[in-house]
Amino acid sequence: MTRRRMLQATSASILGMPVAKLLAASGQAAATKAEHVILFWNGGGMSHVDTWDPKPGRPVQGEFSAIDTSADGVQISSIFPNLAKQMHHCALVRSIAGTNGAHGRATYELQTSYNMDPSLIHPGLGSIVVHEKNRLGDLPAFITINGQAAKSGYFGQSCSAYFIGEPGEKDPYLSFPTGITNARGNKRLDLLARMNARATGKTGVTDFKATDSAIKEAVSLMKSPALKVFDLDKEKPETLARYGDSDFGRGALLARKLVETGVRFVQVNRGGFDTHSNNFPAMENHALEMDPALASLVEDLAATGKLESTLVLVLSEFGRTPRINSNAGRDHHARCFSCLMAGGGVKGGQVIGASDKDAMEPADRPVKPSDIHATVCHALGIDHEKEVYTPQDRPMILVREGAEPVHELFA
Amino acid sequence: MIFLRANRSIVTLALVCLGLAVSVEATTVVDTKLAADNKARGEGELIHGQPLDDLSYLRKATIDVVGRIPTFSEIEQYQNWPKAKRRGLLLDRLFKDKGLADRWTIFYADLLRIRSRAEGGNRLLAYIHNSIEKNRPWDEIARELIAASGSSGNTPSVGFLLADDSDPMTMAGATAQVFLGVRMACAQCHNHPFDKWRQKQFYELAGFFGKTKQVENRLSKKTYVTEGDEMNVLWPPERRKPKERFPVDPKFPFPVEEFSVKPDYLKRLEALRAGEALALTKHKESESLDALIDSSGGKKGLGIGVEPVALSVGKQSRDDIRKLDVKGDLYRKSELRRQLADHVTGPENRYFARNMVNRIWAELMGRGFYHPVDDYQGEVTHPQTVDFLCDEFIANGYDMNHLIRLIMETETYAKSTLGAEVELADRDNSRAAFASGTKRRMLSEVLYDSVVVAGHLQEYKWPKGANVRQVERRVRVALEPTPEEELELEIEPVSEGEKMKPNKPRANPYNLEEVISLDFDQLVKSELDRDLGEMKAMSDREIEAERMAEMARKKKSVQRRYTYETVMEKVDDNPKFSSSMRMSTPAAPTHFLRVFGQPSRDGLGEFREHTPSMRQALMMLNGKVTHEAARVGPYEPMHALLAGNKRNLAKAIELAYLEILTRKPSAEELVEARAVLGQAPVSGMADLRWALLNSHEFRYLP
Repeated sequence: MTRRRMLQATSASILGMPVAKLLAASGQAAATKAEHVILFWNGGGMSHVDTWDPKPGRPVQGEFSAIDTSADGVQISSIFPNLAKQMHHCALVRSIAGTNGAHGRATYELQTSYNMDPSLIHPGLGSIVVHEKNRLGDLPAFITINGQAAKSGYFGQSCSAYFIGEPGEKDPYLSFPTGITNARGNKRLDLLARMNARATGKTGVTDFKATDSAIKEAVSLMKSPALKVFDLDKEKPETLARYGDSDFGRGALLARKLVETGVRFVQVNRGGFDTHSNNFPAMENHALEMDPALASLVEDLAATGKLESTLVLVLSEFGRTPRINSNAGRDHHARCFSCLMAGGGVKGGQVIGASDKDAMEPADRPVKPSDIHATVCHALGIDHEKEVYTPQDRPMILVREGAEPVHELFA
Repeated sequence: MIFLRANRSIVTLALVCLGLAVSVEATTVVDTKLAADNKARGEGELIHGQPLDDLSYLRKATIDVVGRIPTFSEIEQYQNWPKAKRRGLLLDRLFKDKGLADRWTIFYADLLRIRSRAEGGNRLLAYIHNSIEKNRPWDEIARELIAASGSSGNTPSVGFLLADDSDPMTMAGATAQVFLGVRMACAQCHNHPFDKWRQKQFYELAGFFGKTKQVENRLSKKTYVTEGDEMNVLWPPERRKPKERFPVDPKFPFPVEEFSVKPDYLKRLEALRAGEALALTKHKESESLDALIDSSGGKKGLGIGVEPVALSVGKQSRDDIRKLDVKGDLYRKSELRRQLADHVTGPENRYFARNMVNRIWAELMGRGFYHPVDDYQGEVTHPQTVDFLCDEFIANGYDMNHLIRLIMETETYAKSTLGAEVELADRDNSRAAFASGTKRRMLSEVLYDSVVVAGHLQEYKWPKGANVRQVERRVRVALEPTPEEELELEIEPVSEGEKMKPNKPRANPYNLEEVISLDFDQLVKSELDRDLGEMKAMSDREIEAERMAEMARKKKSVQRRYTYETVMEKVDDNPKFSSSMRMSTPAAPTHFLRVFGQPSRDGLGEFREHTPSMRQALMMLNGKVTHEAARVGPYEPMHALLAGNKRNLAKAIELAYLEILTRKPSAEELVEARAVLGQAPVSGMADLRWALLNSHEFRYLP
């Protein structure tokens, strides 16, 4: 706890708030069930009305209906029939009140909790998590699939995401080049280690030492038996089919296997949500891939008990206008949108907050984008208000000031 | 105006060619001033780095000027020059090398945040490349970047504004940070508690961009930067009371130098510029309306197959547009931005010269006189040195090559780093005082190109058919729909063409190391080619649109069922690699260049990342370029020294060290290498070269 927070806590307690609640709010009494996060990042701004916040009977509803789910009284869009059967594991937040309506700025805020700043780059959520939670096993602690995660900012490259281009495809950089046997490759590594040790010893350059350890890390990953987790060929055909024959489906399956192997933070990226025109066929296509993948992931994690320690988060930079435009599309809508969470201590089957009758504005319990980050930190037992220092010794707090975890999620 | 400026730079070029060599006094003065500054800083006895030996200087200078390591023949040429004249002759050669413009375009692209994907991005990149080739003065370039109006099609410098949508607030922040080295953008939202800049001053600076408008021309579909009548920057900021807001009165917030007697460097600048002006008086500025229209709307670019139609439409519209005031509507020059350009680039504005001096110094020395280089807060570590360099920079007409060369000729530049035997605190001290060098890693582009050069990969080094091998490929095979599927889901039977469709064309698993070069000359010349170039580097919106269309197509294919089969294919794996410096930029986020630190250039305040990472290690250890560079092909000179009757292993090892590390091996290294070559010298040499290419010594400058 920082001194500033302690002061705030003290002065607030004078005003009559119990210190215990303040401690809880400052992350001291955080729920620490979660050990891993799977973030599904939906780039482009995913329509909230067509996914988690349907408005049956209203003109804004558009072409899809709302369907009942396994969670009492919770309806989602009809294009997610499989996920509907898993909603007793999932919670929805329907009152995120964003402020940025442009992709770049909104993406930055929803991934880092901060607004863009010309003087520094803030670390994304995944980098925050792996900065605070140690790596388990040989695999990188933070892996991003099918696209890029936010930058690691002032935490530097050691907290940046390891990239997987096409889940299921072999990454050529994880083994010696074609034609180089293991014996020969190892001899090469020995020679290189000798050369570099001489240079590092002679010069004492810090960057040499850092390069040495990067090489060491790389080699240990190349040789790790854990690498077989990337190979999806050994999966049963039924499993592959259940997640769906798509990069997204394979991405979700790989994400599950990765957290089971100990990876802390997996981000699965999906683009194509900027549906300014022809929103409905596009969303239907999205759901064709997303629905089986998300449903199977939640189902499988729950079946093995891993959902207890894995927080699944489906997030986008903003929602889309409930009003349907003249191109049968929806435009950017930051003022009110939704996200889905499951596992990691989150109580399933509930809805936090509500939008108004046309999903235009939050009607109840507005949630700031940064509250989502504070919530993730809270689930993992990370103090979201922890003070850290940039390489220029500038003090920063992990999640933007004023953020509060959505405690009801964990009730 | 553009023509006028272009011609002036030709004159400048001529003048520069006559007197590029930096005077001996100037370089000595830099070293003397540094010593004096260090004394004034209260530095006691500093431990100095040893002077670099000749070959190390060759390596460092070649990397810094042309962005790659020297070749074997360049090493030979250098060593054949008389020892006393070597370094001077080397610099003469390097500053004439075409590689200079490629390498320093990277510097400007980082500085100006050039993005190929932004509107006019590639065109701006080509403009910068061209300007460096002609060694145009920095103040002239900066003026054009700030004051330009028009479309990127005929005023490529306007790309600087277009990339930020000509937004006054963003442009104000960028102007301060990029050209003056001051972070003022924080003042956009609040009065900074520690800074001297007030929010009002920021708004007044933004006011210079307050009448600037971006419009899309219906005819050409191009975006133009032009000047409106209304001031759009209002004070006070929206959230504040009172509610009434007024147009700001643009004011330049930075204090300028004042003097009673004109300093010598100003007199020198005036004399230099007077000479250039004289040479120009015969040239007349000519801008015909037709030329403007032609360049603005005539060529349509996209109508390749239907050009006659496009032209006739163009003709008709051209007649319409002729009635309009073209200059007034589309090209209105900005008086405000012209004034701002005057303020920014004026020789009495010390911020402008100091910013570039510090940035170039930091680029060549590994650290600046203030840090970060966009955050000048009123103090520099070595004031006399900075003043002298600024004076020289201004007096020589903001000649960038002159400034670079001036620094490279100093003793300070040619100092090596201190070894581990010196205490870390002393090493830090010496580095901060520039008494010793600072280890710098090659820029990502430089690293890539240096591997390519060291491994002779610009040309085929194997005969055809020497590397044929079988590769496995997974293909997706569509299954015939069942009768029910055909009926209910309306899935069509599998067509002939669909039968063995590859899952995804993934011909090259190493595509993260591929480079596709842009043709800068074409980009500057032709609008059509520029369009094609920009289509290649699609905007995010276009990618999104394409993705949506793909999604629509996919709908049916999602329902179709597939099976996978593995097929074998024959490939002749004999690749060539070209320079990475002319790629559209920045590269894809997972590309080699980005992994090694090329910035995304999304926002201000983002610098190149130089810290090592595991991904970097993997891409060098197991990457295609390193692997191919290490393999010894029969077309390489090395091959004859390893096999056949001219075999000479000691010479081969020496050649490997020279080609990769620009030095001869030590006795110890020679013994080590002999053991590596063992009984199979050709593959052993590949192992040795692989290790040398991966070594710290290769990656970090001497």
